Amino acid sequence: MSQHHGPKPVSPHAAKVPAGPLPAEIREKIVELLGRYPSKQAVTLPALHLTQDRLRCVPPWAVVEIADLLDLSPAEVHDTLSFYGFFRPATDPLGKKRLWICRSLACALRGADQILDEAAHKLGVEVGGTTADGAITLELAECIGACEGAPACMVDDEHFHHIDQDGVLDKLVGELRQA
Amino acid sequence: MAAFEPVLLQRLNKPECKTLEGYRADGGYRTLTRALKEMSPDQVTTVVKDAGLRGRGGAGFPTGLKWTFLPKGNSGPVYLCVNCDESEPCTFNNRYLIECDPHQVLEGIILASYAIRARVAYFYVRYEYGTGTRTMQRAIDELYAAGLLGKNILGTDFSLDVFVHRGAAAYICGEETGLIESLEGRRAWPRIKPPFPAIEGAFRKPTIVNNPETLANVVHIVERGGEWFKSLGVPPDPKNPRDAGSYGSKLYCISGHVNRPGIIELPMGVTLRELLEVHGGGVWKGRKAKGAIPGGNSMGICTEPEFDIPLDFNGPGKVGCLGLGTAAVTVFDETTSIVDVLHNICRFFAHESCGQCTPCREGTAWMLKIVERIKRGQGRLEDLSILEEVADKIGIMPGTTICGLADGAGWPVKTAIRKYRDEFKAYLREGTPKGGTSSGMRLSMAAGH
Amino acid sequence: MATVYVNDKAVDIGDERLNCIQAAERAGVTIPHYCWHAALSVVASCRMCLVEVGERKVDEKGQVAIAMQPKVVPGCQTPVKDGMVIRTADAKAKDAQERTLESILLNHPLDCPVCDKAGECLLQDFSFQFGKAESRMVDEKNTPPNKPDLGPNVGLFTDRCIMCSRCVRFTREVSGTAELHVVNRGSHSEIDVFEGHPLANKLATNVVDLCPVGALSSKDFLYSQRVWNLKTVNSVCSGCSTGCSILVDSNKDIVYRLRPRFNPRAQGHFMCDEGRLGYHHVNDSARLGQYLVRGEQGTKAVEWAQAAGLCREKLAAEASKDPGRVWFVFSPSMTVEEAWLLANFAQKLSPFVKLVMGPVGVVGEDDTYPKDRKGRPVQPVKFTIRAEKAANLRGVQGILNHFQKDRATYQQFLAAAKSGQVDACLIAAGQSPQVYKPSVEEGDALSAVRFVAVQQMFSSPLTDRAHLVIPASAFSEIEGTLVNHAGLAQATKAACAPSRGLRTDGQFFLELLERKGLVHAANLRKEIAKAVPAFKPLEVGDLGEYGVFCEKLKEQS
Repeated sequence: MSQHHGPKPVSPHAAKVPAGPLPAEIREKIVELLGRYPSKQAVTLPALHLTQDRLRCVPPWAVVEIADLLDLSPAEVHDTLSFYGFFRPATDPLGKKRLWICRSLACALRGADQILDEAAHKLGVEVGGTTADGAITLELAECIGACEGAPACMVDDEHFHHIDQDGVLDKLVGELRQA
Repeated sequence: MAAFEPVLLQRLNKPECKTLEGYRADGGYRTLTRALKEMSPDQVTTVVKDAGLRGRGGAGFPTGLKWTFLPKGNSGPVYLCVNCDESEPCTFNNRYLIECDPHQVLEGIILASYAIRARVAYFYVRYEYGTGTRTMQRAIDELYAAGLLGKNILGTDFSLDVFVHRGAAAYICGEETGLIESLEGRRAWPRIKPPFPAIEGAFRKPTIVNNPETLANVVHIVERGGEWFKSLGVPPDPKNPRDAGSYGSKLYCISGHVNRPGIIELPMGVTLRELLEVHGGGVWKGRKAKGAIPGGNSMGICTEPEFDIPLDFNGPGKVGCLGLGTAAVTVFDETTSIVDVLHNICRFFAHESCGQCTPCREGTAWMLKIVERIKRGQGRLEDLSILEEVADKIGIMPGTTICGLADGAGWPVKTAIRKYRDEFKAYLREGTPKGGTSSGMRLSMAAGH
Repeated sequence: MATVYVNDKAVDIGDERLNCIQAAERAGVTIPHYCWHAALSVVASCRMCLVEVGERKVDEKGQVAIAMQPKVVPGCQTPVKDGMVIRTADAKAKDAQERTLESILLNHPLDCPVCDKAGECLLQDFSFQFGKAESRMVDEKNTPPNKPDLGPNVGLFTDRCIMCSRCVRFTREVSGTAELHVVNRGSHSEIDVFEGHPLANKLATNVVDLCPVGALSSKDFLYSQRVWNLKTVNSVCSGCSTGCSILVDSNKDIVYRLRPRFNPRAQGHFMCDEGRLGYHHVNDSARLGQYLVRGEQGTKAVEWAQAAGLCREKLAAEASKDPGRVWFVFSPSMTVEEAWLLANFAQKLSPFVKLVMGPVGVVGEDDTYPKDRKGRPVQPVKFTIRAEKAANLRGVQGILNHFQKDRATYQQFLAAAKSGQVDACLIAAGQSPQVYKPSVEEGDALSAVRFVAVQQMFSSPLTDRAHLVIPASAFSEIEGTLVNHAGLAQATKAACAPSRGLRTDGQFFLELLERKGLVHAANLRKEIAKAVPAFKPLEVGDLGEYGVFCEKLKEQS
């Protein structure tokens, strides 16, 4: 697979990623979804979501398995996967929770870039990185649609508003660490 | 002036209406029932067409007219794709609709599907709207249980499946053929047109792609009629035969340096100034506005003197913006550096360009590199010319790209430079933003700058 | 009958369905393009082919009015119709072309001095013809790392890629193996394979030809030659009976590369990797380089004319005693002309000498493409690698059938030789070792034959038995006619001269016949066409770019 400027460092959390095959109930769900679409390829995105929700990444063996279920080549599945930047490789899986801080215009006008910096500093990670305890992955997001509550962030797929207010982000991070 | 009585947001403060029971008790699904029993699909289309409803997703194409583009007597299947990808920065109206009044959207989906003879509707929703997605799924489950979805709805021979399909955080999935490609499981590279989706869309079958707000409007148009709809908003400019008017109400999003960011439903045509002052509480911290985007990033920038434009389909164009877009207004105050604003916007488009066609793939990246270099204090006067030229020449308007992302990427660059040229020049000379960065738009070092 | 106006030049396109690029080509105008290819789906993503189009109308008074569309459109996705006006060099089109090229070059490395594609690069060519002389880019270029092992035969210089996606579409639509894909998004998009699934299908190296720039490279050819030093001739692949039209690139009599040549009557646009890489034997230093006479006194090298004379004498002597014990083995890969000349010589000795078709290598089954994602072949077939590994079986059959319809098989010849019924034989024009390798048993079968003449490229158990060893020509050294599975007769041209002191197979046979002059394929075709009805279409002499069909040759057994 492609690499940027030399091999990407393998995250210490990569060791936690299980080996294949996909758990039976995930395979079953994928097969069930085939009935919703006239083409098997259309189940690609749902299958990737199901996989990442469970494994916190989409390992290469899962790509191969999904490709086999959907009559695609592994490259075709990976083509879709890599387009989104949302799916993580097994070498750098998500922590238990993904904390993504919006940096688009409405949030940036209210200090989002600074907040992202401070969050990275506090968590001791780079943007995209996962805390040592595996609890939180910090990422940036483009407009998450929470602009009336800017600056805003998401934990997995839920919004949190006004994270510039005193203590809000700290409290959130604290809760995530305990979970 | 009497406050406008919300139509689309009428259940904003009635959380009990999120359930089927509550929605029905509030009068919901009566319109659908009547339509299925008393109207033909084509009659529904005619009502919507005559009402002059224009799409609320950003392009403003007449909805009923789009529905008539489906080939007559086609063997189908016909698909409805609901475009809830809503990723245009500063926009969140669909989020409100699906979180607060899911059944209104669903009633619109079912009505539209009936009109276009679709048997399957895919509700494509951006991943980031987790709460709204779950709300919609619960509502859909209720409808199946109650016989309002699935086979033979309300005992008629109209059957419909609605499937939720989650995105994965890519802006270009909001472009209708990008959405279709994403739905079909591929990278969201928009398709070349022709053919248009009505002829060859999802799975190469006739497809209509509609915005949730548009579909919510369908319910009220079928219920109260086109005349009612046309009593709201702005009629066509008699001097312009191509003007389809700006009828109905619109959900306006307000954000940025305002005292009361939020959502408000108003008849089309409120001015940006009124929206800001009356509904948005005015500029925060007692400051003055430097400028605003009138309809999401893609529309470009209006200066404060231009705030008197009406926010209808024609207004923003009169001051050189791309159009109304998503009617999402974001205001920035006088302490904000226009260079920072432009940088943020260019960064967004370079990140979101799908990469398929040369002018956008290379152009958005180049514009970002130039603006970043300007920000670092290494900008040159000719960089402004290069930016303007590149911005002018990429897009579907000149015909050089496959989709309109490039137009959206170019418009903010053009308008920012042309309307704030002095500030750019001062920055190039002095190397620091005029008025400092108290607005807080410093670059994130951690994010790799 | 539709007329299209390209840069104000009228061109009749008949009732063909063409896009603007194709219509312009008919008018002799080049619309530059990268992503469009006649064998692949249309994506219109490179935007190089943007042109202005309009409509030309003539009113009742005969006044011509031209209405041009305000936007530029991609020529590749715009079908032409009667009255369409295409302008490729007016201001808007020109501006679009310049900008597209400037955009492509923004991140393109200045690799020309070290890039294989230089000299046949569409980015160079179109930049020169349609681009600006300077770039305004002063920022840093993206530098994604290269992927030298995309597959066993193909490497990728990622930074040179212009994202035309031809290679990805090829693996999805033509080979069906779908190994290539795009990763990432925006200006960080790259081509790649999925780890553990390299680009390894049998048609893989076609992507190097498809690549408009030097991003994809053939490992076989990488850094070996500058293309402007290469001489290129039209030829035909001799790997199997598909008979792909090819180009042979050589320099100073060394073959460096084979490439497919478009032929709608033969295989279309492509060729398989085995055929493409099947030229190394030509340059192999182990090739026989001398005519050898083996007798009781040992082995000695002789001049070619001496060898031919000896061959003629011996065979004539044996034929005069008992022609039924003199055998001529023809190679299914020899040209029609060579077969004709040899058969003529054999007949001249006696009509009772035995003519035999040599062994025809068959490997597996016909391998059709594209495949589905589970590896099964699907319809419609776009390319076939045929099991029959013979370049001219039908052509040689056509000649042999003319002289001797009832023939023994090669196996029967070997059996006869083994049981002492063969006094002399000439085994002609051996095939390349890729296609057929003679076995030790075959050599042993000849042990009792009084005079064995073997014409081959390499030593083998057959040449070990030969009293006369004749070095055979490689496909790149001969001009002649090869007939493929469908009866299409195509012309090959010589790219290289045979080694010093050697003559081509055809020249050798002319010498056997004591005919003066050189092998002139066009003349020989006319001669053959006159004499052999099945070859009548060859009377044109010059078979043209695409060859001519000989229907009768297809149906014979």
